[in-house]
Amino acid sequence: MFKTRVGKKEFFNSVIAIIIAIIFLFPIYWLAQISFKSDAETFGKVLTYFPHEFTFDPWLVNLTDATFLLSLRNSFINAACTMLITLVLGVPAAYGMGRYKVPGSNVFLLTFLVSQMLPASLTLTPMYLIFNKIGLLGSHIAAPVAIAATSIPFAIVTLRPYFKSVPVALDEAARLDGCNSLRAFISVMIPAVKTGIITIIVISFLNGWNDLVFSMTFNVGAEMRPLTANIYKFQNAYGTKWNCIMAYGTILVIPVILLFIFLQKYIIGGLTAGAVKD
Amino acid sequence: MKGKQLSIDKRKRREAYGFILPAFLYMLLVLGYPLIYNVFLSFKNVNVKNLTKGGSVFVGLQNYIELFQNDTFLLVIKNTFVFTIACLIFQFTIGFAFAIFFYQKFRLSGPIRGMVLVSYMMPMAVTGLLGKNIFSNLGLINNLLSKIGITGPEWLVNTSTALIAVIIMNCWVGIPFNMLLLISGLTSISGEVYESASIDGANWGQRFVFITLPMMKGSMLAVLMLGFIYTFRAFDLMYIMTAGGPLNSTDVLGTYSYMLSFTQFQFSKGSAVAMVLFVCLFIVGLFYLHLLSKEDD
Repeated sequence: MFKTRVGKKEFFNSVIAIIIAIIFLFPIYWLAQISFKSDAETFGKVLTYFPHEFTFDPWLVNLTDATFLLSLRNSFINAACTMLITLVLGVPAAYGMGRYKVPGSNVFLLTFLVSQMLPASLTLTPMYLIFNKIGLLGSHIAAPVAIAATSIPFAIVTLRPYFKSVPVALDEAARLDGCNSLRAFISVMIPAVKTGIITIIVISFLNGWNDLVFSMTFNVGAEMRPLTANIYKFQNAYGTKWNCIMAYGTILVIPVILLFIFLQKYIIGGLTAGAVKD
Repeated sequence: MKGKQLSIDKRKRREAYGFILPAFLYMLLVLGYPLIYNVFLSFKNVNVKNLTKGGSVFVGLQNYIELFQNDTFLLVIKNTFVFTIACLIFQFTIGFAFAIFFYQKFRLSGPIRGMVLVSYMMPMAVTGLLGKNIFSNLGLINNLLSKIGITGPEWLVNTSTALIAVIIMNCWVGIPFNMLLLISGLTSISGEVYESASIDGANWGQRFVFITLPMMKGSMLAVLMLGFIYTFRAFDLMYIMTAGGPLNSTDVLGTYSYMLSFTQFQFSKGSAVAMVLFVCLFIVGLFYLHLLSKEDD
């Protein structure tokens, strides 16, 4: 069947790769398939690997629940606010650090690198007490303010090399045309590092969307919480109705998968750049 | 002439600070200030009673002393290290094997390498839900085990198996991530080195031991340290999947600190646990930064 060694190798590699893909993607299939099972099948004695009677009921149970819809909205608010704060503060800082060599730039870089490593637990209790004092607890902005503190360093570490690689001449030409530094930054530099900016947008959005600990700590009321932070509430409400719980989980994962499918190269590029390389 | 130069420099510097300082000040305010606040908090006795009324006092090292005399806390420390080290071993070795495999050029390599990363992007809270489901008594894992004649344990009910289940779920996320970082390390080794080694008659194993491993030393260390930093501070997975139970057998520093602060409202105790977490991360973090600065040179 195979005329060359290369063809044979390609075949075996492909088989192994497909097996790896099946093992790693199976849990996601599992999540989704349970969400289409009827109650009877969910509680049945026999574990089924796909829904025998396909139904949308578990989805409808979630989508007709007022608290669920509020949580869904809150998840989007969380993600959008985190993204905005990260863009407004992180992108200019990455530019400043990529373009200028100023006294103290090592201190800045070190600060941003270190802050990427700090665990949420460390700032959680003090922030709770501080937010309590200044009346920010239970507001939409409390969690994004904290989450952005992890996205901003990521944005700076990832974007700085992008800005470094843009020719200085481009910057100078804009200034000769009469742009001040802010206008040159917005109209020339940002478009020049578009790829990096998209990475930051996606990752900071996902940071906000995926957050659990800040959202559940700073928002006590269920109607203020995003989907992640309300998992326990719905788990208690559904008991062992795993079909409803998994529909909840599936809906929570859909935006992530969509972003992943359409913007994969930006995500992967960013993850590698932000993690190992400076 | 000299004066003009100086003024341009000054203007540039002002511009630079204008771009950098907002983010820097934000970090000082949102991260730096709470960090220092946390240090003080851990030396006081703030709890739900004196939080609103006031009257909390400095108690020195009392919180720390009480913690280290508490068996639960010692168990939590042990769990955190067992979890982290087990995850690192599996994530790293399997991730490395995957990296070498997917580094080969074949048509499906790129797409599948990307696809498996989706687990890394998912909310950890959903990974926790999923873990709770597939490791339940009549769940997927025990169903698969029964097919090969093994009666699986009640994973999340037994104190001896719950942590294993959590580790497996975490590896599902960690393996693809390690793979991605290690592939980018492999990419940085130039093909010429391999070619000349092949010409010299080195086989696959020799090339791996004498070329790949030494040349990857830097990125392997970086990935391990980064893995440590990310795994050691775990919270979401345990919180949703097991809530630290049964009997604290999956409680780690992150979840224990949270529980002290926000279910028992012993804020100062929670802060002290967070400080222990921080010190461990800080030590590894220093090595990581040292490594990064060496790479920069």
